[in-house]
Amino acid sequence: MLSEIRVSCAPHISQPLSTRSVMIDVIIGLVPAVAAAGYYFRIYAFVLIPICCLSAVATEWLCNLVRKKPNPLESLGDFSAIVTGIILALSLPPSLPVWAAIIGSVFSIAIGKMVFGGLGANIFNPAMVGRAFLTASFGMMMTSWTVPATIDSAMPRVAAENKIDARTQATPLAWSKEAIKDRGQRTEDRGQSRDERRGTRVVNDQLGAMLAGEVGGCLGETSVIALLIGGLYLLIRRTINIHIPLAVLLSAFVFAAISYIINPDAYISPLVHLSSGGLMLGAFFIATDPVTAPLTNKGMWIFGFGVGAITMLIRIVGEYPEGVMYAVLLMNAVTPLIDKFCKRIPVGGKPSIK
Amino acid sequence: MKIDTKGRFSFSGGTHPPGSKELTSASEIRPGPAVKRVAIMLSQHTGAVCQPLVRKGGLVQAGEKIGDSDAFVSAPVHSPIDGKVKEVALQSHPVLGRSPAVIIEPHTHIPTKQPRPRAQDAFDVGSYSAEQICGTVHQAGIVGMGGAGFPTRVKIEPNPRLPKETLIINGCECEPYITCDYRIMLEWTNQIIAGIKLARKASGCPKVFIGIEDNKPEAIEVMNAALQQSADTDAIEVVPVKTKYPQGGERQLIKAILKKDVPTGGIPPMIGVVVLNVATVAAIAEAVVYDSPLTHRVVTVTGEAIANPGNYYVSIGTSVADLIEFCGGVTKKSAKVIVGGPMMGIAIADLKTPITKTTGAITVLTKEQIGRAKFARRQTPCIRCGRCLEVCPEYLNATKIAHAVKNNLLDVAESYYISACIECGCCSYVCPANIELTGYIKTGKIFLARQKGEMPQ
Repeated sequence: MLSEIRVSCAPHISQPLSTRSVMIDVIIGLVPAVAAAGYYFRIYAFVLIPICCLSAVATEWLCNLVRKKPNPLESLGDFSAIVTGIILALSLPPSLPVWAAIIGSVFSIAIGKMVFGGLGANIFNPAMVGRAFLTASFGMMMTSWTVPATIDSAMPRVAAENKIDARTQATPLAWSKEAIKDRGQRTEDRGQSRDERRGTRVVNDQLGAMLAGEVGGCLGETSVIALLIGGLYLLIRRTINIHIPLAVLLSAFVFAAISYIINPDAYISPLVHLSSGGLMLGAFFIATDPVTAPLTNKGMWIFGFGVGAITMLIRIVGEYPEGVMYAVLLMNAVTPLIDKFCKRIPVGGKPSIK
Repeated sequence: MKIDTKGRFSFSGGTHPPGSKELTSASEIRPGPAVKRVAIMLSQHTGAVCQPLVRKGGLVQAGEKIGDSDAFVSAPVHSPIDGKVKEVALQSHPVLGRSPAVIIEPHTHIPTKQPRPRAQDAFDVGSYSAEQICGTVHQAGIVGMGGAGFPTRVKIEPNPRLPKETLIINGCECEPYITCDYRIMLEWTNQIIAGIKLARKASGCPKVFIGIEDNKPEAIEVMNAALQQSADTDAIEVVPVKTKYPQGGERQLIKAILKKDVPTGGIPPMIGVVVLNVATVAAIAEAVVYDSPLTHRVVTVTGEAIANPGNYYVSIGTSVADLIEFCGGVTKKSAKVIVGGPMMGIAIADLKTPITKTTGAITVLTKEQIGRAKFARRQTPCIRCGRCLEVCPEYLNATKIAHAVKNNLLDVAESYYISACIECGCCSYVCPANIELTGYIKTGKIFLARQKGEMPQ
């Protein structure tokens, strides 16, 4: 009657989900940002993103070979290396040389992920590990910015009037850093013209361009709208939770607002802070990396709040114009602690009887 | 009066597996197979195992008690047929592995027992005393027929330390595929109401709620209509609850109806609540009014691989193989025979396993179905996506517990409240990495019990 009978523990049905389907969702969520990168940075995007993906996948395969895995190709099937590659590429300056991007991808996968034991075992976000390595090693290259291709390169809207080389137009955040450094010295000796050139007003005026993405910056972080569309997709698909992005953006907004209220001449407006730099990419795609973020909702709020606060601390007080990467890495480091202290209490409370 | 069948209440967490109830939801309760051999397990309930009261070769009559125990938490077992005891031997039990059973063969051909909704709407509970009801419920061997099999007498008997205030009748049937409780509610409505009145009288609960998931609007309407016709039902109220798995878990049902949490590691009487399944109250009415012990029950035989799925009134002790054969056998390539539903049911290897008092369904899944689920795909590393935390109805950290058990760190598993798990299977159901979280947690509980010496090695 029955040709074969199998047994296993319950449940005997399951949702058609797999790690691969989760990763594909993330890739789909990244598509708008990739498209925006392609639109604004053209050839740079078409080169850097595939290069990063390919080298990330190749590195994982090599690591599997070294680890003498029975099937070195198997772990590539979960597509997590591709996600790491895309996110790393999107957080690189467009004009970064290809060899540097390859080094970054190799470091991301080999040191960021595989030395810990592969997917699910890493402590730090692999893409951010790779980017931190590149920032530390090739600081100059990592802070050279390109004007989006949609701006007439001969007469860049912002750069021209400020007489800065169009090839290395600063990001809005670098501008705001200048404004912070000029604080208190912008009276008679500096003169009104300089104040107008470098002041916070110039940056604040760029909000519209920043929403669309028509500003200098890393490949995928400039277009706020594209990132929001992708983030919304992930939220609807329930691939990510609202907690981390909301906590990151809220805490960043609060800190930016405080500084803005104290001195609007030296600090850019909170909305500009939210839409500049890697904050949107970080809030929706980097900080939400499930492997390196806490498990519980409470933990996610603490984690997100920490990422937002540290980012703002670096941007406002620190030496770097941008801080999302270090904020994420620092909070990754405390994730196990957060998990330890944010234990879930069962529905019926702690058991009274042992 | 228009009855609102939309459920407003639920619990947090949970998941929505496909119901697949349409296979059997329209099939009336029909008599089950005429058996050639029944195996009555001596342990069909939570609590002490019964001692056999009959010997090999002895004659038994239908309804005769054949096993009993002196322990308070236990329930006697009865013979469903007239016949001769062939032997007392070990049989496969879905939960306990090999367990002793009384095997009876009928004298001659015996007509199968007809399912009959016998209680009338004019049922009057006045002539029965609470002690009498409790005594009869115990003598009839009634246990929770929803799955746990806790002796019903222990539940409903008044306990001065834990006064009971609310009686909840569980008609949720959240498990996919199963429709036996649904059919009982539609067809045996008056008997259920009689049983509710008896259980209410015995337990002394002033208030009664009947919780039914809102994917069964007919059941909600039929129950409401019957309550209106019947006298003395002011304190009985039908509450539609949201359709969500595991809404039929008693802790989840209490949360949805009363907004109360049962203490972790505790039982519903601690907050003055008794939860009884609809099949159990129907059995109470049968036992008390007609003095008929629990020897038959309604079983849903279902699954895409079954030729004639349906609901059958089956002798307890019938083997799964006989029942499947009676339903036309298996058509498609089958791969898994499950006692219960696909979320919490137990896959059995031995088709001689008998039906027990707690068996609500036999589900046969096709190879494609389980291939889609657990067999074709390998377990991959946990990516800490947190889906298992989101769906956990008990608000546990399933992945931490499961990985603690996997790494043999039982103290860590305990610190994450492993014992609070109700084993509903939601975490395994949603896990994208295909990790058998529920399996690990169940294993961990067994290891812990062994460590504490509560269970033999």
